[in-house]
Formats: sequence, C-alpha cells, structure tokens
Amino acid sequence: MRPRWRKVLHDLLDNKGRTLLVVFSIAVGVFSIGVIAGAYQIISNDMSASFAANQPANIELRMTNFDDAILSSIRNHRDVADAEARRVFNMRVRVPGTEKWTALDMVAFESFEDNTINLLNPLEGKTAPAKREVLLEKDALRDLDVSVGGLLEFQLPDGSTKTLTVAGIVQDTAAGAGDFLASPFGYITTDTLQYLGQPKLYNRMLIRVAGDGDDPHYIREVGAELKDKIEKSGGVVIRSRFAETHKHPLASTVNAILGILLALGILIVFLSSSLISNTLSALLNQHLRHIGVMKLVGGQRRQVFEMYITLIMAFGVLALLIAVPFGGIGAYQLASFIASQLDFNLLGYRLLPLPFFIQVVVGLLVPLIAGLAPVVNGSRITVLRALSGDAAEEQIQFKDGEMRLSWFDWAQVKVTRLLAARGIHIPRPFIISLRNTFRRKSRLALTLFTLTMGGAIFIAVFNVRVTLHDYIGQIGKYFRADVTLDFDQPYRVQEVERVVGSVAGVVQVEGWQFVSGELLDEQDRVIENLTLLAPPGDSHLVQPILVEGRWIRPDDVRKMAVSEGLRKMFPGLQAGDFVTLRINGRDEAWQVVGLFKFVDQEGLIGYAPFEYISVMNKQANRSFSYRVVTERHDRAYQDAKAEELDKYLRDQGFKVRVAQAGSASLDVAVESLDILVTFLLIMAILTAIVGSMGLTGTMGMNVLERTREIGITRAIGADDRAVMRTVIAEGVVIGMISFALAIVLSIPFTYGLSYIVSLAVFQTPIAVVFTYMGYAIWLGLVLVLSAVASVLPARNAARLTIREVLAYE
Amino acid sequence: MSPRRSSPQPVSVQHAMTSADLTPVPSPERRGESMIDMHGVVKTFKSAAGEFTVLKGIDLTIYRGEFVSIVGKSGSGKSTLLNMITGIDHPTAGRVVIGGTDIYTGVTESQRSKWRGRNLGIVFQFFQLMPMLTLLENVMLPMDYAEMYDFDERPKRAMELLELVGLEKFANKLPVLVSTGQQQLAAIARALACDPPLLVADEPTGNLDTKSADVIIDLFEELSRRGKTIVMVTHDPSLTSRTTRNIIISDGELINETVAKALPWLRHRHMLEFSKLVQTEIYPPKATIISRDEHVEKFFMIHKGEVEVVLFDRKHGETIISRLKPGEFFGEIELIRGGKSIANVRAGANAPVEVLTIRREDFQRVMEQSPITAEALAKIVQERLKEHRAADSRSGRGLFSFFRRRP
Repeated sequence: MRPRWRKVLHDLLDNKGRTLLVVFSIAVGVFSIGVIAGAYQIISNDMSASFAANQPANIELRMTNFDDAILSSIRNHRDVADAEARRVFNMRVRVPGTEKWTALDMVAFESFEDNTINLLNPLEGKTAPAKREVLLEKDALRDLDVSVGGLLEFQLPDGSTKTLTVAGIVQDTAAGAGDFLASPFGYITTDTLQYLGQPKLYNRMLIRVAGDGDDPHYIREVGAELKDKIEKSGGVVIRSRFAETHKHPLASTVNAILGILLALGILIVFLSSSLISNTLSALLNQHLRHIGVMKLVGGQRRQVFEMYITLIMAFGVLALLIAVPFGGIGAYQLASFIASQLDFNLLGYRLLPLPFFIQVVVGLLVPLIAGLAPVVNGSRITVLRALSGDAAEEQIQFKDGEMRLSWFDWAQVKVTRLLAARGIHIPRPFIISLRNTFRRKSRLALTLFTLTMGGAIFIAVFNVRVTLHDYIGQIGKYFRADVTLDFDQPYRVQEVERVVGSVAGVVQVEGWQFVSGELLDEQDRVIENLTLLAPPGDSHLVQPILVEGRWIRPDDVRKMAVSEGLRKMFPGLQAGDFVTLRINGRDEAWQVVGLFKFVDQEGLIGYAPFEYISVMNKQANRSFSYRVVTERHDRAYQDAKAEELDKYLRDQGFKVRVAQAGSASLDVAVESLDILVTFLLIMAILTAIVGSMGLTGTMGMNVLERTREIGITRAIGADDRAVMRTVIAEGVVIGMISFALAIVLSIPFTYGLSYIVSLAVFQTPIAVVFTYMGYAIWLGLVLVLSAVASVLPARNAARLTIREVLAYE
Repeated sequence: MSPRRSSPQPVSVQHAMTSADLTPVPSPERRGESMIDMHGVVKTFKSAAGEFTVLKGIDLTIYRGEFVSIVGKSGSGKSTLLNMITGIDHPTAGRVVIGGTDIYTGVTESQRSKWRGRNLGIVFQFFQLMPMLTLLENVMLPMDYAEMYDFDERPKRAMELLELVGLEKFANKLPVLVSTGQQQLAAIARALACDPPLLVADEPTGNLDTKSADVIIDLFEELSRRGKTIVMVTHDPSLTSRTTRNIIISDGELINETVAKALPWLRHRHMLEFSKLVQTEIYPPKATIISRDEHVEKFFMIHKGEVEVVLFDRKHGETIISRLKPGEFFGEIELIRGGKSIANVRAGANAPVEVLTIRREDFQRVMEQSPITAEALAKIVQERLKEHRAADSRSGRGLFSFFRRRP
C-alpha cells in the first residue's frame, strides 16, 4: 500500500473516538431516512395490499330488513361480482359474573364457509362459529376479559340474557377501518339470530363490483343503480358507503402523516450533515500540520484532496454498514407499530430496494457534500499556514496591515467592561465559557442550527398536540351531554324527562332525533351520505363553531346547518343556498342556513331542529335517543350516572339499548390522535438527539482544540470541578441560545405542522393553540441535553494531565 | 490546602514593591528554611520504544528567598524537574515537599491544581495567557480558581499587579493585541495573583527579545529581594549570573553545584563525572590541608567554609597570601605543572571547611578531554603564580622557594 493510503487507513483507525463520532453522525441521518423511507414504502404498499387481500366490499348498503330474494336480484346484476348479506345489530354483552356491560356490534353471516367479502383473518380457535357460538374481533378483547372456550352473556331488549360460547378470535381489517369510534364486533351465524331475539332477516348488503374496483366513479354509479333496483323491489336503503379495493379508508391520513415524517427525516439528514460538516472541519484543522508536511515533501493539492475525500467515503461506508441493517429493522418496527394501530397486516420483513438505494446515496453523498468545503479549503492551504497551525483562529482580522479584533470580540470585551464599570463583575471562568461559545462562529452556527431545529420541532409537536386536543375539545361542544341514552323503541319525551329528571344529579334531559339521508348532485346522483342530528331548536347542548350563516331554530322547516365538508362537493356553496337530499327515498330541497366546522369521518353531518324532524319521522314528541346533563361533567361521574340511569330505567321498564358517558367517544378520538402525536414526538426526539449529538461533537472538538488552554487553567489552579464547570457552562450557554431561537422558530413550525396535520386528519385547517408545556419541557430537556452533551468532553478535559497539555505546545 | 487569605492593603505604583502587596521579606531564620525538598526523585517514561528514565534520583533543596536558575541541555530533564516542583507531573519514585507539603502523597491531580493555584505561580515560555480574556481578567482568573480575596476586591488587586509590571494601560486589551514582552509581564502578574511564596518560570525569556528579557529578569530580581523564592529554567547562560544559585542538570542527574561553580568551563558530562567522583573532606578550623613542599595528589574544591593560603618564614612569620571561598579551588598548580606544593593551605580560622577532592589521575584524564578547561586553568595558574611571586618577594623569598620544603 502506498504511504498516503496507509495514512488514510491510519487516520481512520488511529483516533477511534473521532471516527466513531463522524460515522455515528452520518449513521443517524442514514438510519432516520432509512426508517422513514422504509416504513413509508412498507405501509403504502402493505396497507392497501393487506386491505385488498381481505376482499373489501366496494359498496356497503345499510338497509331496512330484507331477505334472500333481494340479495339474489343484486347478485344477478351485471356489474356485481359478488354480494353477501349480513344482519348487524348492537347488543350489550358481559363476561358472566362481572358487572360491566360492553356494547358489541353483532354481525350475522349467511355462511362463514362461503364468505368472500370482508374476509376475516382467523387468529385463534375456530374460523366458523356453530349455532350459539360467537367469534370475537380482537379489539373486543380490550373490553372483555374472555378467551376461546369462555362464555359471554348477551342482554336482550327485554332485559333477559342469553349465553354464547366464544369459539374463536378473528381480525376484521375492513369492518372497523376508518372509524375509530366503531364498537367492537362479534360474529355469529344466522342460526343464532333467533336465539338472540333477532329476526332471521338481513339489514346490510356487501357488494364487490365486477369492473374496476379502484374506480370510485364506477363504484358510485353501480351503487346508484343497485339502490334504484332495491328501492324498486320494495327495499329501503338507509345509508350507502363506497370503498375502493386497494385503498384503505385511512390511506390518505396515513400518507399525510408519513409525508410529515418523511419531511422530518429529510430534515434530520440535513441536521446530521451539518454535524458531519462540523466534525470534518475540526478533523481537517487537526490535520493542518499533516497537510503542511505532505505538501512540504511534494504532495500536490489534488493528492491531498483525494486522500481526504477517500477518508470521507470510508466514513460513509462504515456508517452505511451500521445504519442500513438497523434502518431496515427500524422501518419494519415503525411500520408494524402503525399497522397494529390501524389494524392491518404487513406482508412480512423484506429488503426494500428503494430505501436501500436512498440510504446508500444519503450515506455517501451527504458526507461528501458536507465535507467538500473543509476538504477543498484544507487542500488549498499553504505550507506556511498549515505548519504554523494558525489557519483556524477566527479572533483576529487584519485591516490595512493592522491587527484588529473582530467586532464581535470587541463587543464582548466592551460589554464586560461596561458591566464591570457598574460594579457587575462576571466570574472569569464563566467569561471563558461565554467567550469560548463564540470563538468558532461557523461551528457554533451549525450546532445552533441542529439544536434549534430539534427544539423548534419538539415545541411545535407539543403545540400541535394541544391544537388537536383543543379542536377535539371544540368538537366536544357538539356533544355536551354527560350521558347519552339510546332506547330500542321510542318513548315520549315528557315521560323520559320525568323519569330521568327524578334521578339525583340530573339537571336536564333532551330528546334527540336522527335521520339519515343522501346528498344528491344536479343530476340527482348520490354523492355523499348525510346524517341529520336533531336536537331541540333551542338546545344549549350544541355550541357550534360556525363558519358562515346561523344555527338552527325551532321553527326551521327543511332547513339545516351542515358541516363545512359540504363545500368539497359544492365549492361555491353559501349559507342560504339549497341542496337536494334523498331522505327515506324522497328527494327534497333543503336550505343550508349555516356551515360549521366538524370532523367528517363517514359522510357529512348536519343539524336540523327536533321540532321538524320528529314530525318528519312520525315520532312527534317521542324519541329513541336522549341527552342528559348532570351536575358534574367529569368522566368518572358521567360513567357512574350512565350506569345508574341504565339500571334505573330498566327497572322502570324502559328498553335501554345503551347508556354511556358523553365524553366516551371523544376520549377514543383523543386516544387515536395521541397515536399520531406519538409518531411526531418520536421524530422530534430523534431530531433532538441529533441536535444533542451535534452539541456533544462540538463540545468534544472545542475541548480537543482548547486542550492547551485547559492545561493552563489547571496550572494556575483550576481543579476538576472548575474545568468541568467551564466546559459544561459553554454547552449550556449554547443550549440556551438554541432555546431562544427555537422559541421563535417554533411559531412558523407550529402553524405549518398544524396545517398539514389538521388537513390530513380533519380535512380542514384548524385554529392553532400554543402551550407553555412544550417550551418548558424543551427548556428542561435542552438544559439536561446540553449539560449531558458537555459532560463527556468536560470529563476528558479534566482528566488531561498538564504535562500532556503542555507537550501539545 | 491553604487557608483563605485576608485582603491585602492596596498598593500604589511607586510603592508597589515595598507595600504589603507581596509576602513580606522572610526573616533570616525563615530564609534558611527549605522551600523545595526533593528526595530521590525518579521519573521514568514508558513508550512503545521502551522505558526511559529522565530523572535519576534527584535530591535537591531550595531555600526560601533563593533565586535559582536551572540549566541543562535539551533533553537533560530540566523541564521534567520543573514539572515535579510544580506538581504538573508526578514522580515515579521519591518525594517532593513544597513549603512543607508533600504534594504527591495522597493528593489527587485536582487537589494539586487547587494547591498550586494558592501556593505557586507559574510563568511559561509561551506566556499561556487565556486568549479570550483581557490582561486584567487573566490576572483575576487564578484568584477565582483559588477563591482568594473577596470577589469585589479581585479587580482592584489585579489592577495593582498590572501596575506593578507596568501594564495598567493595557489592562482591558486582549493578549493578542499586546507585544510578547507585555504578554510575559502579564503572565508574571498572573503568577503573582494569589501572592504565592514560590514562583516557577520555564524559560521565561526564551521567546523574548533582549530588552524585554532584561525587564523580566529585573522584575524577578526585585521579587527575589522581596522574599519570593524563584526557580527559573533557562538556556541562557547570561541569566545564570543574575541568579543567586545555579543548578545544572545533565542526563537526568544534578551536577554538584561546587563542581559547577569551580570548573564552569567543563562540559556538563565532565561536571557530572566529577560530581560522581568527588570525595568530601572536612577540616576543623586552622587544620592544615596541604603543607608546603608536599606532593599534591588531589584537586580541591571548596564546598563550605574558607581556606587560607599561607607562607611562613623566620623573619616575617606567617603571611596569608589569599583566602579562598566556596566554589574556589586549589591544588591545580601542582597537578598541572608538577612538583611539590608551593604554599601551605589550611582551613579558615573561624569555621570548619568542607572540601571536595578529585584524585590526580581523574583530574588529569578529564583535563586531557577538556582542553578549554585546561587552558582556563593554565591561565589561572599563571595568575596565581604571579601573585605568589609577588607575595614571596615581599617576604624575601625567591620564586623557587615556593617549591622548597619548609625547614
């Protein structure tokens, strides 16, 4: 091997700590981008593949009861590849011997063996239940402590109970997808229906289209034709839902989130590249004398350049060896986590060519780009400057042949003097820390960049979290009731008010109505489902966030306030305009009196007054559903009152379907948002780690370069603690500056991130809320990180013997 | 390791050296006290090439108030010796006691740093001022580390020290903006910051022009007069003449100071050789060391006490032709020219005398290897013979009577 290549090898192996720092700096960026790119590819591929593998229905029709005749007629339609019927109904269930009831959506299959739509993935036990047996969706196990072979007690509307055996556990990737608020499922055969007091009739139809299952227009057209056909056959379609075969209902949300993660991943690569640039600059500074000697003995600029570029490439290759395998594992872990949260299956661990390629490019190219400037500068240096070793000092400037301090150094001295003149003396060791901070301004700038970005993202994530929660809180104003009561049959409002009002702690009771309809376009085609909620016109239980127009009034007739999602279908729509709704098979023109902000998960939501809807539903002064306001509004009290009311009303002979706390569904929504925030937080912590690594590297380099000065301080009386204090104080000063900058930068970050996330999750931009929490936590964290990042270099500094230091001269 | 000192009285520029700013002049009794005691100090460095012993059992005592120079060639071990005194490095074997404190036994490096800050000032060849601090802040820094003086008094004291070295106008300048000589003066002010009794300087003038070097040495002399113990490593032989004591180190061993003083023309390796060969002889007051007309077989160097060279005759009786002091020698005339002693040599009347002797054959062997020394001694012999002739003629004796045995 030629001597100069042997030198490169020696440089690589000689200072293992420095090599590790550079390699690790590169590896962090490569790892992050590998994890995110890998997870992105796995999820975007496996999410749809997994969804499609279970043969999801393209059309789901919620209907009034129907029989095999209607099913057969649908199956015979030319655009229908397959159709299956189910009966879906809600029941209360509990493990025998326990008190707590859980709502379960029961799905009765015509035949499990012939099931070809919305396939179930068997996890444990039988794949098909026998009569009086039930299969449970795995999510049901969260609320029910039961295993295969165990029994479950089901409550019938008349209050009696029936027992079914749990025959198996399954996963239903299609059923709950896209609906965080859905109840868990139980699956039975139609033979068990009668046992549970249900008619042996269907109320839901699942259809797979014969043509392109990924063409939403085609699916909707088929859906419209089928609905016509059903209605002509005497059936009533209450609600329809359309889905593409290869598109998971949450795909757009997940992709948006992954997009943010990808942006953060790219940012981490940027941050790590500044870390690399810093480290390589320091390395080149340390090697100035080597370069001088090489040039002195005839080395050319090109040869020096080649040597250091080779060294950088070697760092990159080493980083790839570490980061690629871990990046692959990390990608799969992240994808698995997301998959488990969103209930879909991955196709298995595998090597992904694109993320691998991206990692190789990042691992080799980024260090090259980051290191190019220091290497070019280093290779250009003159022998004299290289050997004198003064190329690095930034303190002195020459002007007109005169030595001058830089304005910044001058200002620092001036400020200290002014303070001293006013009797404010700063201890000199701290002055050393302060002024050392600014000695390497370019290095400081890069360090601050990484740490500030980390901090700003960290703070922004907390702000986004609060923003999302605040929005959920705002949404909660649409659900201000403390207890929601649903009955199996309508009861007179006055009667329920009297009975429920007699329960201690109840303040107010309201009867609500609901009606499902469909929104039609100009050609009378169904474009979206619409659920109309009907509280009393003067109800205070809804406090809408109005975007335009007004709220409903008791005397409104065919007038409604609708969520602003309506504007997606009718972009120019304004309050006062009319839209066509198909309700119970009749097309009616409804006036939109107001638009409000809301989360449109499945179709649109609108409000119309109880006074009109109850008449329309032919249930004047009666209702299936009631909202109860209690004295206290905390979740525990709500739960207690829900249970008390449930028991009390049953004792009074009411057929209660469900009584639950008003904030129960909101809590579920908050939980699901927290998953999203967790992802963001992981990335924020990763950026913070990169930032603190940058600081550790900087402090390490600073200490290395100031070895002699540290020795001098020891020679004039600084003990270990004093040396460590000086180094750590410098780290903390850098941390505090970055904190100040992060405060400023977090503001645009918060707005940007909130905008992207709210569009992805709520399909609407939401008002940004700031919280001191992120700032406080980051302040604590940056103090700890900067102190910890400085401790190792500080310990090394304190361990230096003065003889070693003075030998450095 | 040392108690916090009370604040000193302020000093003016004019009275800087006479004020209470610095430790008062030690009393004669204290001046006799040892400031540095080194016993059997060995320092061995280990490297891939093997072990290398730099200090080979150094025994050295330096007393309070002394201004000592340590000289030696490059690689002789002088800086290592200095590092042992300052606690910058630690010995492989042996003890180092500074101001009564054994600085290596049971003391961590960190504790030693703290001790150093309070008890010792160091002046480096390359000044080693902190580049980010002004001269004033540099001088205050040791006080901060050693927690000496009240916090608010430190700027005042630092300014007084800068005035002491004539740098008050540059107090708020960064080191990079003043000359190298001024940087070294500031470094001395910093070394004096905590008013340490001992000042150690490693080639303090090595990087300065002659004028600046003179200013520094003047300052050291003044500080020494005021009672500071100063130990200075130097390459410059012209500086050794200005110190009160000169210690030469060669190949990790100290050269006998009497040998070095008596025969300064010898190469260090020959001095070292003599240092190892010398025998000590002690004579009571008035005891005869050499009698006239006696064959002289040794070269004598006076270590302690006084020696008298005496002539006798019947007419005039006893004539003392010279009194030799420590560092002077006798017996060389006989060893160089041959023949018998030309005078009587006896111990001084007041105190015993301690002499170091070298055997004739050792002396002559080294003289053959060191023509410069031989030449210098020959000149001395000529001068002494001239003096002796004059004395002898005054006493009525001829030249050759010097070589005659006394009746």
